[in-house]
Amino acid sequence: MSARLNCSSARCVGRVIKSQTTNSLSRAAPAAVTLHQTSISSTRHYAVASRAAPLALGKLQLPEDYVPPTKPPTARRPETRKSQMIRAYTALLRSTPLMLFFQHNNLTAVEWAAVRRELRRALSEVPPPVAGPDGSVPVDITDSIHFQVLRTRMFDVAFKVVEFFDAEEAAKQSNGYAHDLSKSAYEAIQAADTTNPNTAYAQISPLFNGPVAALTFPTVSPAHLAAALKILSPSAPDYPAPTRRKNPGYYELAAQSGLQKLLLVGGRVEGKAFDYQGVRWVGGIEGGLDGLRSQLVYMLQSAGLGVTTALEGHSKGLWLALESRRSVLDEEQNPTKKEDGEAPSS
Amino acid sequence: MITRFITEVKTKFNPFSASARSTRLFLSSLPANARNQGMKIDTKLLPRTSADPAVLQVKFSVLLIEDGKEMNLDGAKLGIKGIIEEVDRHSRFLQKQADLNDG
Repeated sequence: MSARLNCSSARCVGRVIKSQTTNSLSRAAPAAVTLHQTSISSTRHYAVASRAAPLALGKLQLPEDYVPPTKPPTARRPETRKSQMIRAYTALLRSTPLMLFFQHNNLTAVEWAAVRRELRRALSEVPPPVAGPDGSVPVDITDSIHFQVLRTRMFDVAFKVVEFFDAEEAAKQSNGYAHDLSKSAYEAIQAADTTNPNTAYAQISPLFNGPVAALTFPTVSPAHLAAALKILSPSAPDYPAPTRRKNPGYYELAAQSGLQKLLLVGGRVEGKAFDYQGVRWVGGIEGGLDGLRSQLVYMLQSAGLGVTTALEGHSKGLWLALESRRSVLDEEQNPTKKEDGEAPSS
Repeated sequence: MITRFITEVKTKFNPFSASARSTRLFLSSLPANARNQGMKIDTKLLPRTSADPAVLQVKFSVLLIEDGKEMNLDGAKLGIKGIIEEVDRHSRFLQKQADLNDG
């Protein structure tokens, strides 16, 4: 028994036997017996284990409907590339508030590299975020902005899952699995009305045809968006392309021919569909969401000021009119006083 | 698709309308070096609210002499297969002429 405990491998067993045999050299006959006994005891031990097996295994045996926690049941086989792609895209869609979609028409690898290089360069020139009033510095998202080619069919399915599948609702059901590959997710997107024009899916889904690439921003940052638009989809007044002197790499043949083949078809901002004009508008917001908020606050404050002045205006006017009238009446009532007062001066 | 004889492609579409699909796919089926070989590709996007149909104009030439043939293809009606069929039909005709001139 002790031999079994001490050694878990065959090599150890050999070592034990060797030590037993060294003992046996000193005590000839009984040593052989001990050796014999150890071997028997070990076999006995295994025999006992095997006899006890049904009982012990009965305790160990997993129930028929046991599901390993790391492998919940899925509607489609989870190990396939497509399934994992759906998971990646749902995560991307949930975590990415700002996404631009580009049609890419047969870009070569060299052109992709040139386009990405120019994009990275332009993004790195965006000034890093400034610290807020409470001293907390927002995360610099420059390195998390990616330009990736999408598999449109899988992206379409992932979009449906994000749009029509309510995971919290599904988790309350009896079967309880609410991950993106679950059967409840599958049934939800099968039952969904995908043609309803009020849903974001129905608005955006026509874009997912043909070759589509997505530029993903982890936060809605108009400064970064504007920098990316200046490279990928320049338009003269608001988003001018970098000048040849400032950025000669942009005018390289590979970069230029790659950029000509990229077509900004639309975007998804905070879950809503935007066309290229809408995207450009978002890029023009100064200071991002905080900028918009401060604009609203300013508007409301100035509106309040306007209201008070407007309300005050009438009473002030009335008071002024009465006051001037009073002074006129005063003058009429005792003009002599004034004359008297005036006389010595003249 | 035979793209050798196409000299100019003009498109105008609203990407948010499902009928623009075949026009977009036609753009993606042009070869990677199309612009380097002198093809003019002009794409105009319509705003999301516009209900205008997608426009696809294709111009041809043979032996760098303007053939003058100009096609206006309705992507919504033809579909991508129909567009390619129409373009190829004329391209094959031009190919035949070019071969005759060559030989």
